[in-house]
Amino acid sequence: MRFAVIVSFGLGVAALSVTGMVGADPAAGEGVFKANNCGDCHYTQGPAQEKTIGDQMAKKGPELWYAGSKFQQPWLEQWLQDPQPIRHIKYNSVTEENPGDHPKLAAGDAASVTEFLMSLTVAEVEAGVIKPKKSAKGRLIFVKKMPCSGCHEFPGKKFKGGRSGPSLLNAGTRLNPDWIYAYLKNIDTFKPIRMMPNFNGVLTDKDMKGVAQYVANFK
Amino acid sequence: MSKATIVTATVLLTGFLSAVTVQADEAEQLFNFYCAQCHGVGGKGDGPNVTADFPVDPRNFTKADEMEKLSDADIKNVILEGGPVVSKSPMMPPWGKTLSDEQVDALVQYLRKLCNCVGKPG
Ligand code: HEC
Ligand code: HEC
Ligand code: HEC
Repeated sequence: MRFAVIVSFGLGVAALSVTGMVGADPAAGEGVFKANNCGDCHYTQGPAQEKTIGDQMAKKGPELWYAGSKFQQPWLEQWLQDPQPIRHIKYNSVTEENPGDHPKLAAGDAASVTEFLMSLTVAEVEAGVIKPKKSAKGRLIFVKKMPCSGCHEFPGKKFKGGRSGPSLLNAGTRLNPDWIYAYLKNIDTFKPIRMMPNFNGVLTDKDMKGVAQYVANFK
Repeated sequence: MSKATIVTATVLLTGFLSAVTVQADEAEQLFNFYCAQCHGVGGKGDGPNVTADFPVDPRNFTKADEMEKLSDADIKNVILEGGPVVSKSPMMPPWGKTLSDEQVDALVQYLRKLCNCVGKPG
């Protein structure tokens, strides 16, 4: 009897804390984001604001207004506590290395900010379109037909890829597969001014899906 | 020549010169933003993407003897369509869906400044 009571009490606490997480409040996370001055380098209100190269160069960090559609939640929460460089070279530079000095958050604050950032989603990203796959066709596009590997680190055998774009080594755990396709298809919506060419029209829709599947499979 | 003609000519000339300068500044900015990641800020083919394992050397734009062999139209074509259109490596990306015609023309002129050369006609 007493044992049963303790067990059900324990279950109740577990249930409570689970509800507590699911019901967490993005507004509280937004408060933590502001209190840590994250907004000095990242804007969180869409749509994209950059119109000229000057506008892009003035940004001190990537835009985060569609973060909830772009990132995988577990990766984001972990990265905010231990932010290892994503780009080899410094943001907006072609001459300096990434100093690797991104601000860190404690576990509680990281969870809270993740809650806020994951609430920033956009309608342009359709869910369930891209399934990660070791696509031979996707690989052919990425390393042979198109210059993707010239600017992005990837799990290659001898040639490991270029350094000017974000590393895609862990794209399969970092990025939402559906966002990768949406980004290739509507690059100007997300990053109107960027060092990466627009491939929509160079690649067919089928090829963009294939290469997105391939990138989403990098672990 | 009347005074008015001289004034008009001066105004026109000044206007023309400043238009050219704005374009030259813009061309340098375009080059440093889009092209320097592979071709290097000075155009020597030594951008940050070019590690020892990089499969093909991006062209060194300061080599006049090589750049002379390309016409302005050849250069424009490869910038718009990418390496394969001139049987070169696909590591040279296609920029036609990214840059405007005027921006590509400005880049062609900027490459001519880097090589300090003129291309073969056509
Ligand atoms: C001084 C400017 C600066 C501040 C302050 C700053 N960041 Fe960043 N942030 C950057 C830069 C630069 C990058 C790119 C880092 C890289 O590529 O390795 C980045 C990357 C990120 C990314 C990944 C974005 C992407 O698209 O790759 C997230 C998420 C992020 N920051 C969240 C935060 C949060 C949360 C805070 C506040 C605790 C914060 N940042 C504070 C400059 C800043
Ligand atoms: C000329 C260099 C270049 C080429 C070629 C290139 N990219 Fe990119 N890519 C970039 C840069 C730079 C960014 C980041 C832009 C920014 O945040 O301002 C980027 C961003 C990305 C991202 C988002 C990564 C992130 O964390 O934000 C993906 C996915 C991507 N590229 C895939 C591709 C694919 C697939 C191809 C080939 C079809 C390709 N890229 C070709 C330079 C390049
Ligand atoms: C991802 C790396 C990369 C980027 C970015 C890049 N290039 Fe190239 N480019 C190359 C490579 C590699 C070659 C050499 C191809 C070969 O020899 O097969 C090349 C060759 C060229 C050539 C010579 C073509 C020929 O017929 O010999 C021109 C002209 C050129 N690039 C212009 C540009 C311009 C202008 C930009 C910026 C808008 C640019 N490139 C951006 C990699 C790049």
